[in-house]
Amino acid sequence: MTLHVPLKVVVAGHGMVGSRLVDELVRRSAESFDITVLGAEPYEPYNRVLLSDVVAGRTEVASISMPAPGGDHVTTLRGVAAVSVDRKVRTVTDSAGAVHGYDHLVLATGSRARVLPLPGLVDGDGAVDLPAGVHALRTLDDAREIVAASVNTPRAVVVGGGVLGVEAAYGLASRGLRVTLVDPSSAPMSRQLDTTAGDVLAAGLRDAGVTLHLGARPREVLVAGGRVVGVRLGGDDGEVVAAGLVVLTTGTVPEAGIAREAGLTADRGIVVGHDLASPDDPRVFAIGDCAQPPQGSRGLVAEGWDQARRLADHLASLVAVRARESRRDAAPREHLRFPQEGERPSMAVRLGTLLASRAPTDQGVETRGTDVVKVKAGALSIVAMGVSGRREPAPGHRAVALHDATAGRYVEVVVADGILVGATCVGDPRVAADLTAAYTRRTPVPVDPAFLLLTPVMPSAEPASSPEHMPEDATVCRCNGVTKHDITRCWDDGARSVDDIAAATRATTGCGSCREAVCGLADWLAETREVGEASAETDVALVHASSGDG
Amino acid sequence: MSTSVSSPAAARKTHCPYCALQCGMELTPVETSGPDGRAALPVAVAPRDFPTNAGGLCQKGWTSATVLGVPDRLTAPLVRGADGELAATTWDEALDLVVSRVRSVQAEHGPQGVAIFGGGGLTNEKAYTLGKFARTVLRTPNIDYNGRFCMSSAAAAGNRAFGADRGLPFPLTDLGGADVVLLLGSNPAETMPPFVQHLAGAREHGGLVVVDPRRSATARLTDDGQGIHLQPVPGTDMVVLLALLHVVVAEGLADRDYLATRTAGWDDVVRSVAAWWPERAETVCGIPAEELRVTARRLAAAAPTRGGRGAYVLTGRGVEQSAQGTATVTAAINLSLALGLVGRPGSGYGCLTGQGNGQGGREHGQKNDQLPGYRKIDDPAAREHVAAVWGVDPATIPGPGLPAVALLGSLGTPGGPHALFVHGSNVLVSAPNADKVRERLVALDLLVVCDVVPSETARVADVVLPVTQWAEEEGTMTSLEGRVIRRRRAVAAPGEVRSELWLLAELARRLGSDVTFPTDPAVVFDELARASAGGVADYSGLSHARLDAAEEAGAPGLFWPCPAPSAGAAEHAGTPRMFLDEFPTPNGRARLMPVDHAGPTDDVRGDAPTYLVTGRVLQHYQSGAQTRRVPELDRIVPEPYVELHPQLGLRTGVADGARVRVTSARGSVEAVARWTDAVRPDTVFMPFHWSGAGSVNRVTSDAVDPISAMPEFKVCAVRVSPVTQDAPDAQPVHVTQEVPA
Repeated sequence: MTLHVPLKVVVAGHGMVGSRLVDELVRRSAESFDITVLGAEPYEPYNRVLLSDVVAGRTEVASISMPAPGGDHVTTLRGVAAVSVDRKVRTVTDSAGAVHGYDHLVLATGSRARVLPLPGLVDGDGAVDLPAGVHALRTLDDAREIVAASVNTPRAVVVGGGVLGVEAAYGLASRGLRVTLVDPSSAPMSRQLDTTAGDVLAAGLRDAGVTLHLGARPREVLVAGGRVVGVRLGGDDGEVVAAGLVVLTTGTVPEAGIAREAGLTADRGIVVGHDLASPDDPRVFAIGDCAQPPQGSRGLVAEGWDQARRLADHLASLVAVRARESRRDAAPREHLRFPQEGERPSMAVRLGTLLASRAPTDQGVETRGTDVVKVKAGALSIVAMGVSGRREPAPGHRAVALHDATAGRYVEVVVADGILVGATCVGDPRVAADLTAAYTRRTPVPVDPAFLLLTPVMPSAEPASSPEHMPEDATVCRCNGVTKHDITRCWDDGARSVDDIAAATRATTGCGSCREAVCGLADWLAETREVGEASAETDVALVHASSGDG
Repeated sequence: MSTSVSSPAAARKTHCPYCALQCGMELTPVETSGPDGRAALPVAVAPRDFPTNAGGLCQKGWTSATVLGVPDRLTAPLVRGADGELAATTWDEALDLVVSRVRSVQAEHGPQGVAIFGGGGLTNEKAYTLGKFARTVLRTPNIDYNGRFCMSSAAAAGNRAFGADRGLPFPLTDLGGADVVLLLGSNPAETMPPFVQHLAGAREHGGLVVVDPRRSATARLTDDGQGIHLQPVPGTDMVVLLALLHVVVAEGLADRDYLATRTAGWDDVVRSVAAWWPERAETVCGIPAEELRVTARRLAAAAPTRGGRGAYVLTGRGVEQSAQGTATVTAAINLSLALGLVGRPGSGYGCLTGQGNGQGGREHGQKNDQLPGYRKIDDPAAREHVAAVWGVDPATIPGPGLPAVALLGSLGTPGGPHALFVHGSNVLVSAPNADKVRERLVALDLLVVCDVVPSETARVADVVLPVTQWAEEEGTMTSLEGRVIRRRRAVAAPGEVRSELWLLAELARRLGSDVTFPTDPAVVFDELARASAGGVADYSGLSHARLDAAEEAGAPGLFWPCPAPSAGAAEHAGTPRMFLDEFPTPNGRARLMPVDHAGPTDDVRGDAPTYLVTGRVLQHYQSGAQTRRVPELDRIVPEPYVELHPQLGLRTGVADGARVRVTSARGSVEAVARWTDAVRPDTVFMPFHWSGAGSVNRVTSDAVDPISAMPEFKVCAVRVSPVTQDAPDAQPVHVTQEVPA
């Protein structure tokens, strides 16, 4: 049933989260919405997460474009930013001067790179003014410029050893650059990893050819002729690291300016409740990096996508309420039959049910599972999720760890109430994948959490390779269910070749894979049974005598 | 007529009664009698050289003759009497009863009140006749079949992408030359063992890639460097495919020329997989990102465009029996198209059809929305063509009816069917949410079951009609390759057993229809061929005589489409390899469709934290109605069991060998626990061949795919618990927390 008036939604931001919201809305009920999207970048939405892969040369730029939902109900303006909001009359003004009315406004403006106010990076007034060769890694343009710069210089410095810094450093090193990673902490990724895990990661990065300056802060970016030539580090000696390329990965700042100016509460980001709405205006929502929900934000796309999904559900439910109200006014009529008890509900209802299982709990909104940090650094496997036992010990949490520095491996699991509430895994991709599956699905952990630290295998019961040591009941021919015992017995009954065995037991007559094994058994039987045919005859006679039924 | 022929004396060339591999076998009538005067077995089975089995047979095939002589073989019609028991009667009485009950149901509920449920094991001739009987005699839209449980998702995706659905659009033997074979949700080492021969080439090159949540017998074929086993979380196979395609795109491995000239829709698919970079996929499917990358590169390197010897992507029920089955197959097809595999000799995409005639059974009108020749029932031209062959007014052919799960769910309900004919299917064991199916069957006014043995479904019927089985009948089957082959009679049917062709003709006559129903399978085939002419699955150039002659000449079977030649032209040679020049779509191009992962309908949660997956064991087939009656097979796997990881066993207090209960939102089953590390610790496995307390389909989900209506058999959420002493049929078990080895 279509509405007389579609819900007018303005989405400010056309990044990964804004475009996902539009996609989710269109999937639910395109004709129920009239959507306007304002995207500051001139590009179609692209996968920002993969920019570090572009830098590493592992992903073609052309392959990171994301679905750009369109159709009659979506107006997308690219290269046009939202610049102001008038909440009284419910309009947004864009950078081209156009005014867009809304029933609901969604701010998905994302974040910008944080730039340290260092000499060489800011002008006299403190405004950011990056010299040639210095780049953040936030936009497609940044990534393209870094790739271009990496061709012309043999040395790079990455400032900031968080997830993105580690990915950028590893990626540039794999392009053959001599890379120095600078971070003020004693180990990289200090926001996610405790120092033991961080040390294991640091060793892995060094093996990959990255020079680490830990516990070090950059003091100045050195510029000559408008181009970067190096970075002077803090400390007494003021060591200078030469570099023709400097990548800034020192965190991000939510783009909350437009909300502040519109009188909405903003702290680090735009403050929203569990319903993703501003406490100051129920018609304005914020999702993704620009938002600051009650449980905080980690800047991960999974969180933003989860928010987009939840908000789309909410907006679709508003449409449904309006539809019900308009139906109530209408004359009684034949309506869609709802599933009877026991029948499967429709796809839409099922999706709703599925989502409801992750929807509000008494603690607000269950978002666990969206906070898995998986570093994209080729052979280096680094995963962190939930809490870290050493960094955030809590009563009721049981932390168990395996530290294997020689093999470059560190695994920590934190268990509470029978489920995994946090894990850190460096250097063991299989275990990391299993831990992620257990964490995101909240499957119960083993009786001893220590089992989680290793790939769960039990000793293999594969048939022994030598015929002699093969157990009697081992299946030799799967296709026909023939055991070693069956073959031995048919040999004793007179079979003397593989063909005889095949005729008597059908072994080898299915897929033929067991032919070698049957040959081996035949050879072994020929060898061992040959010794004393006479006594074998006695044995056979005894067997016959004892099996009376013939 | 079918009982009047005495045993032919000579050996007959035919095919195994079980799976879609249709292994060639030779049946020799045996005259010797056992000690009690009965023939021990009416025929001796010997394998013969046929392309799919190359002289091999699995244990089911070797022992297949046993089913001909099982002690409880149905040999006379049975009717449920006043005492509630089934009792033998004559055909006349049984058919009179059926006709009068059908008439009263029709009078009360209209023509749609009578429904037919067919099977993928029936010959083409029977499947065709069932569809014709439904549309012309009963005039009911409500006919569907158990292939809805097997092939419907792959069929829907294949039709959408290629404009045609032939399981393997290439001869099976082509697999042997490929560098890589990627198998998803398929366990042929267990389900069709002689198939494994065709994987030898890929294994030799380390190129067998098996995607399965279990380390199945097929997954073990990748051991020792013969390939790669990816072990995803159940229900996430689609994520594996999306990530593989992501890597192909990101690393520039796609076949751009092929995509530009032979496909449409690539750009949207590229965008759709941008969201599935391997690290994200890992968090959903549980497979390390680098393993996904390595696999994608391996697959791409085998593609012809990159100088490889060829690659195949094959799907099976494990990924298709899902509420996102059609989308998952589409993801597999997208990957195949991206690498330029489809319609190239030596490469391709295919789905491995399961049932003996699962291919032919889905082409000739047993499906709710279909007319013979793989025509759509709502296509006016198709209706006109088929109506002319049948000699009826096109307007009298009903429109689409209910698909299987909805059909079974509506039995005996207001507006639903109140009489049901079941042919070649044991729905009480094989349909999902089986307890509900039982309720619905019991609510019917009339249940007629045509079968060879008293299956679980037959036991609840009002009328049971004994029909012929494989070695007792003539006809054709269409193998998993789309090769039309001959089934031949080697023995006479016992007692009062009749062919369904006779039965349906007789019912048509007694119901007063003037539509002609031939009973000679060769004549039925000729009519089927005419009805299929011009359709996607065109059999019009085929006949029993031509198939016999081809086999005599050493070229067994012919591949559809095989249209009748125009006047004066040479015979069409059949189509071993499809899509070589173009696709049978309106623009001749294959269609790429973006798809996304939604996950299982019934996903794990606090009170059901473990995944259940189901599958087959080598010794049994489908609901086990045949194989459970073969002592040699039953001896090896006599009862259902639950495979679980020792860690799950320890956590839940279920010891190895103890009885375990598996409970879902729908029901509960019990079986013996087998500890194994072949399953993930978050997953249990159960085979589905049994009825009763261990019948796993009492637990499985009847959620269906929105496009194919395929039920989600292969993944649901369960709770695993020990069977305690208070359970009446359980052995007392004292489970303690055992110390791990």
